[in-house]
Amino acid sequence: MLAVSYVQARSVDILDPKDRAGRVLRALIDSAVDGIIVIDAQGRIESFNPAAERLFGHRQEEVVGRNVTMLMPSPYREEHDRYLSRYLETGHAKIIGIGREVTGLRRDGTTFPLHLSVGEMMVGSERKFIGIVHDLTERTKLIEQLRGSEERWRSVIESAVDGIVVIDSNGRIEAFNPAAERLFGYQVSELLGRNVNVLMPSPYHEEHDGYLARYLATGEAKIIGIGREVMGRRRDGTTFPLQLSVGEMSIGGERKFTGILHDLTARVRMEEQLREQASLVRLGEMAAVIAHEIKNPLAGIRGAVQVIGGRLPADSREAAVTGEIISRIDTLNGLIQDLLLFARPPQPKPTLVDVSSLISTTVDLLIRDTALSEIDIQVEGASAPVVADPELLKIVFQNLIVNGAQAMRGKGRIRVSIGASDVACEIRFIDAGPGIPPDIRQKIFTPFFTTKARGTGLGLPTARRLVEAHGGTIHVECPLAGGTTVTIRLPVDRVAASIRADGPVLERGSIEP
Amino acid sequence: MTRSTRHLCVLVVEDETLIRWSIAETLAQKGHRVVEASDARGAVRALSSEAEQIDVVLLDYRLPDSDDLGLLKNVRRLSPESAVVMMTAFGTPEVTKDALDLGAYRVLNKPFDIHGIEPLLQEAHDSRSGASTRPH
Repeated sequence: MLAVSYVQARSVDILDPKDRAGRVLRALIDSAVDGIIVIDAQGRIESFNPAAERLFGHRQEEVVGRNVTMLMPSPYREEHDRYLSRYLETGHAKIIGIGREVTGLRRDGTTFPLHLSVGEMMVGSERKFIGIVHDLTERTKLIEQLRGSEERWRSVIESAVDGIVVIDSNGRIEAFNPAAERLFGYQVSELLGRNVNVLMPSPYHEEHDGYLARYLATGEAKIIGIGREVMGRRRDGTTFPLQLSVGEMSIGGERKFTGILHDLTARVRMEEQLREQASLVRLGEMAAVIAHEIKNPLAGIRGAVQVIGGRLPADSREAAVTGEIISRIDTLNGLIQDLLLFARPPQPKPTLVDVSSLISTTVDLLIRDTALSEIDIQVEGASAPVVADPELLKIVFQNLIVNGAQAMRGKGRIRVSIGASDVACEIRFIDAGPGIPPDIRQKIFTPFFTTKARGTGLGLPTARRLVEAHGGTIHVECPLAGGTTVTIRLPVDRVAASIRADGPVLERGSIEP
Repeated sequence: MTRSTRHLCVLVVEDETLIRWSIAETLAQKGHRVVEASDARGAVRALSSEAEQIDVVLLDYRLPDSDDLGLLKNVRRLSPESAVVMMTAFGTPEVTKDALDLGAYRVLNKPFDIHGIEPLLQEAHDSRSGASTRPH
């Protein structure tokens, strides 16, 4: 109402300087920080306060009576008259009584952002509009700075290698960066608002709400501000080790927690490999001692039993028993040999080996064994020679073929298929046995694991050690169609492939059993 | 060259009594003379004091007072005419190679077929006497 009477007073110039209210009003308008502009129904400026003068760079005398569009840049300048007349016709307000952010045009031609709120009033029968103009230059600059800063932080978070997850004090996920998406296999959209315990395996999954509540109640931190190794749970249910460090922050009085998650899978795998290597070295040392301590007395027993057996009548029951004792001793010795081969495999003595003919030789030796007499072994394919120790490879092939034959209960066909690429020779041993159940498949390379009533559980682990000693790999699959396929890949050395192949390496005393 | 089947004088150096016994019994049965030693000291004493020439030494790699190839060197030095066959319960390829380089005829892994010993010792002896013109 004050403004109304002021405008009224200014426009008709009847302000009574002795009127106290009028003087207060004038001082108020003159000292206002925001610009105050009054226009008539045709858009002509009637009043322009000192703040407006500062904002637009015009003096009041220069603008009074002129169209207010002079304070606007294109395209508003051209459209304003039409807005105004449409409002007067229809009463349909776009800005009047509402206010919005617009752009102002200064006297010097520059523009600036401003917030404009427009009120409407009647002075007598004349309709007037009063605009209050608030300069937004500083605020806009600040917002741009904030936006820039936010973009910087966002790109840091988005491009971080480690996963970053923000939760509220109820454990609900508020932010989840792309690295975290990759780690857990979730899309951020699937997780926002969900309890963070979805990323944890049992028992943490069930216990996390309790941890959080206890921390909020007691302030007793178990992980916040400390960090520790925990297990994460991926979308597909698999788990993986990660280093979790949690920081706490307060945003607008609300407590939030930021978790930084560093994937430890590779490190843990490496540690496992190192542990396994160390235990194999220990096993090797142990095996060497045991082998000597057992083989020496075995040699004594074997010799003495042979001498005694030779003095018994050849067709006697006792002579037969001494024969049995000797065969048990040889079995025992074979076990020690297997253990030594696994625990202390000899360094390969590489020569050029034709895989196809080595497999054929191995097969020829094996089919003389009565246990394999009903096994049909079919060898197909060929490859360039590989650089390998033929005696060691022969042991690998033997182990795999005997395993396949046992899986088929001594009857059926084993296919050995040889293929080659530029970098590897691939040998597949395909049997038609019952396959290996998934829970057992994980353990078949574990030494001393066996499903056989009589077996050392060293066949496959030894095969793997020997193949790996050649820089190769070995994999076991059980196709849906049935059976088991063991695939060996041996590196093909193209440089060495031009060297002439040498003969067999190992020499053995003929009288050793 | 045909293998001679003449009677040999064999020194068996072995601390495991059952091995020593069974070798001695087997060789004696075939008419060979057997001298026994249970350690390196005994082996050296036998080689230096035995009136008869030792044709073949059957030598265990690991003995209570010797666990390297030093004894083999000693035997070769004291009795260069004797053939040497080594026995070991855990022979690495490296040890085998070194023993052969030092002049052992064969490195035999334990346990072994006792009936194979006699022909092996004949073979070892023949390999040396074939090279020498020494009359028997």
